[in-house]
Amino acid sequence: MNISAWTKKIRQNSQIGLGFTLSAGILLLALLGPWLAPHSPLDLVGPRYGSPDANALLGYDYLGHDVWSRLLSGGLSLVWMSIAASVIALVSGALIGMVAGFFRGRIDQTILWWSDVFLAFPNLILILLVVAMLGRDPWLIVIIVSIAFLPGVIRLSRSITLGIAQQEYIEATTMMGYSTYRILLREILPNISMPLLIHLGTMLSWAVGILAGLSFLGYGVEPPAADWGLMVNENRAGLQIQPYAVLAPAILIALFALGTNLLAEGLGRAQSGIKEAR
Amino acid sequence: MTINTGTTISKLEQPRRWKIKTQSRRSTFISFERITQAGTNQYTIPAWLPWIVKRIVSSLLGIIVISMLVFAATQALPSDPARVILGPEATEDAVEVFRKHLGMDQPITTQYVKWISRALQGDWGHSIDSNIPVTQLIAGRLENSLALVASVLIVIIPGSLFLGVFLALRRDSWIDRTCVSAMIALKAIPSFAIAIGLMMLLATSVFPVLPAVSLLDPNQSAFAQPIFMILPALTLVIATLPYLTRLVRGSMIEVLDSEFITSARLRGLKHRTIIWQYAIPNAVIPAIQAIALTTSVMIGGVLIVEVVFTYPGIGSALNSAVDIRDIPVIQAIVVFLAGSVMLINLLADIATVMLTPRLRTQPASTGA
Amino acid sequence: MTTELSRRGFLISSAAMGGSLLLGSGLLSGCRNGSDNAVTELPNEPQYGGRLRLGIIDGSKTGDLDAHKPLTTGAIIRGFALYSKLWEWGEAMTPELALAEEVDVNDNATLWTIRLRKDLEFHNGKTITADDLIFSARRLSDPALASPYLAYLKWIDRDNLIKVDERTVKIPIKGGTGLLSLPDSWVNFGGIVPEDYHPITNPVGAGPYKLKEFVPGQRSLFTRFENFYKTGRPYPDELEIIDFKDQTSRVAALLSGQIDVANALDPEQIIPLKQNSKVNVIVSETHGWQSFDMNLSKAPFNDDRVRQAFRLLVNRQELIDRALGGEGRIANDLYSPLDPTFNHNILQREYDLDQARFLLKQAGYDNDLKVDLTVGPGLTAVAGGSPAGLVFAEQAKKAGVTVKVTQVDSATFGGPLRNDWQFSTNSRLGGSFLHTAAMVDSPISTANKTHFDHPRFDELFRQAISTTNVDARKPLVHEAQQIQHDHGGLIIWGYNNTLDAAGRHVGGLAAERSHFPTWRFDKLWLSKHA
Repeated sequence: MNISAWTKKIRQNSQIGLGFTLSAGILLLALLGPWLAPHSPLDLVGPRYGSPDANALLGYDYLGHDVWSRLLSGGLSLVWMSIAASVIALVSGALIGMVAGFFRGRIDQTILWWSDVFLAFPNLILILLVVAMLGRDPWLIVIIVSIAFLPGVIRLSRSITLGIAQQEYIEATTMMGYSTYRILLREILPNISMPLLIHLGTMLSWAVGILAGLSFLGYGVEPPAADWGLMVNENRAGLQIQPYAVLAPAILIALFALGTNLLAEGLGRAQSGIKEAR
Repeated sequence: MTINTGTTISKLEQPRRWKIKTQSRRSTFISFERITQAGTNQYTIPAWLPWIVKRIVSSLLGIIVISMLVFAATQALPSDPARVILGPEATEDAVEVFRKHLGMDQPITTQYVKWISRALQGDWGHSIDSNIPVTQLIAGRLENSLALVASVLIVIIPGSLFLGVFLALRRDSWIDRTCVSAMIALKAIPSFAIAIGLMMLLATSVFPVLPAVSLLDPNQSAFAQPIFMILPALTLVIATLPYLTRLVRGSMIEVLDSEFITSARLRGLKHRTIIWQYAIPNAVIPAIQAIALTTSVMIGGVLIVEVVFTYPGIGSALNSAVDIRDIPVIQAIVVFLAGSVMLINLLADIATVMLTPRLRTQPASTGA
Repeated sequence: MTTELSRRGFLISSAAMGGSLLLGSGLLSGCRNGSDNAVTELPNEPQYGGRLRLGIIDGSKTGDLDAHKPLTTGAIIRGFALYSKLWEWGEAMTPELALAEEVDVNDNATLWTIRLRKDLEFHNGKTITADDLIFSARRLSDPALASPYLAYLKWIDRDNLIKVDERTVKIPIKGGTGLLSLPDSWVNFGGIVPEDYHPITNPVGAGPYKLKEFVPGQRSLFTRFENFYKTGRPYPDELEIIDFKDQTSRVAALLSGQIDVANALDPEQIIPLKQNSKVNVIVSETHGWQSFDMNLSKAPFNDDRVRQAFRLLVNRQELIDRALGGEGRIANDLYSPLDPTFNHNILQREYDLDQARFLLKQAGYDNDLKVDLTVGPGLTAVAGGSPAGLVFAEQAKKAGVTVKVTQVDSATFGGPLRNDWQFSTNSRLGGSFLHTAAMVDSPISTANKTHFDHPRFDELFRQAISTTNVDARKPLVHEAQQIQHDHGGLIIWGYNNTLDAAGRHVGGLAAERSHFPTWRFDKLWLSKHA
């Protein structure tokens, strides 16, 4: 499978296009938003649950912050935390999985067994437990989310590595005396990178769901920070009075999850060769 | 709640022998490897027996380790349940008395040994909060949660099988494309958003026909009060059905594209026969792992749904217990949930092996 | 009598039918929502019968039934149904005689003499005697019980309670000073229980309702106590207290008729409820107070000028509008305005940014003061949560003070560090001056978050709590409050309203100055025609 065939497939695939547009759009909004916001996300500029007016496009929230400004400033935490959690899980999981699949035997069994054990904790419950006990520092949440994702990545990269490692050309490189390090990184990694990349998209959309869910349960980002998940939580009681303060961030969360999800789906389809619907 | 994408990539080896790589966290692929390692005595005893024994032992070990992890995590971490329960008004002396009463002044290994030996005899201690035996506290709630999960499974297993096969047979038609797009979109919505949306739609704002809050009568089984289960169950169905359906659809498409179906067609078998006798049975096997995964994901996802609808289940009990550090309750629920997930995975693996002819009879023929 | 009994019997059986047809009633209540908008007037006379359903929010704790160790608000509410006390709260949060027929206290409040009413009965039919009173007082003050409210009553000389006769007990106070706030301290947590009492196996009291069933964290069901000391009360046959975890779902349950009464609502929810024709909203102007607590043992709050500056830079009305949703009144850094000894001559402190800046500069801070404000969990100010802190942080910016708001969970907020925060939020129920001071900032307080320790104030407090005569006590309290106002560590910025809501068919519910018109289970009744 060469690169040009890939890019062609991707270009033809409208699902990937839509997914990419959505994810990139939200990413841009999150990154540039803080500079575009007309007010500071912390300024109390209007009445509590005030309706939209010329000064505030989407009205005011439960304390009188400008919802639009908070929306623009509030994407960053969700975006960086979900990306960081997924990437950490991906990198460490891929390495561990490769080691397991390449060396097999006892190492493999041990790694598999431990990932089985961690797999037994439902994601949200593991995260909830640790966050409740250790506090809600953003980096702590990121690490715990990535640990929850780890067994999945390990299994995936291990199973693909296992298949590749048995192929003749890898056996040939082993006989040629290449170092294990080189074989893993130069020969195996390129082959497993595509499925892993697809899995990254999937993990991103899970991470968005988990982080937003944590905020919903009151264990997410701390106030007064602007954060989409937190915005849903803190304005939920006023849903009937000022719906934009809840709906706007909820829609952005869903769009981001949808974008990354579409991206993963599209890439997955392109790779597995299932033709896109015409 | 999150659900894996079921992008299933299968490679065909021989007719009716499947090597399936899934991205799901439970991969059938793993089972093959296990069998390979265990299947040396295949001529004297059934090939799968040592594998199953080994698998069961490893699951038991896993549960023991989980109990240790949970215990260490809850007991050793910096929190003071005695203070939490008694509140800020209590004097330091009162807190100290209570701490002793909870046995928290002893070394952690002693505490663990005491705890686990009592737990094995069915005594999980008393809730710090309500002072009721944990088993009694959980029993009723467990029943409610099981009722919820069971009613969701009753809907989604046949539903996804039917819908998945239906869509696979109409691959790339407008109905297939619409459904797939809708399922991708639904999968992206966080479950609490689905729950709140449904509550507004069907209970409070638009069509107020269902109770917004699941106030189950504790004296009756949840099944006797189905009206209260509709909204939570519907939320979970919407959150899990897309994943399962797409997996069935995917594996059905793989089967339909495979050589042996083509050769069956060439042999002139009837379309109906091909679908019912060859395609569907093969497409169902990967679904077993997917159902196991969905169930375990649902066990976690039940938490948010129960909180939103004030459904008196094990998830909302855990959420409360975590919040106030009711350690005996947390320990019992988490160990129970993790144990259930292990059990479900074990059963799914066994079912997969027993239902896949090649794995049952010739476990050593694949792999390295 | 026989007719009334048979009528009640009929009502009980119909209630039982209703219970078994929960499914049907769920459907019916759902339908009632849309179709029936006609508001029926309540009858003038209380009506008997029915099941009163109260929805409470009890955080994450499930609570218990212990009369003397109620661990949650929900447990205290259940205690109001199950147990009667020597006193009960009056409309203005003052203790009034309940099971006690007569209470005498000596001049320096070191010896209390309490006489029970005649022919009082427990739920199990046993007569209430002085022995039960002694048992109850000893149980409440027992260090081994580890009641969180021990701090209020640890001054009772529990080993020297004197039984005078079958109905009379003398209670000496130890520690050299009097304890004039005894009734206030005893009301919520002082249920009188029999000697064979056990909170789980035998939760017997003398309250308006007997326990039928308790499912922790979910619901508790009570039946009418026929021999309640207030003859003819309570009115409904059954009381059900249902635990909710979430305000939004509780309001949904109230609107769809799954519950009759919801107590202590968030201000957000009042706005849509007030427009709803099926629901009455009751606003009680309590003197429960909201504060920021400055820790005098830590810089910069060890400096009088900084404390004055902070009290001047608070825009109290804005805090009430934003953090309390307008449901409150501004306060003057003093608690207990309903206390007859309250000093009304102290002028209200006004918002004065210039003076605040001036004082801060004098104290050596030139736009560079940074403080850490620790707030409790939750999203409502009444729960001690973040809104008040966030609004305050913005106000402080205008005076050149940077306030970093850190929200911690209840475990941490009330944990071992609770008296060590530099600056933190607080929220307390209204009560008498002596009772509140005894808890908050007096020499006998166990939760003195401000570390306020003023020799003259301490002296005045000790004198006041040992002075039974109101006229003699007044000048003492007045001076003590002046000291608090000038040098204290509390920024008491507002008194909050308690917001309750009930279906229009609920009678006996009216606004009070107390926090809990909805807990008066001996008063509430249900109209059958709504």
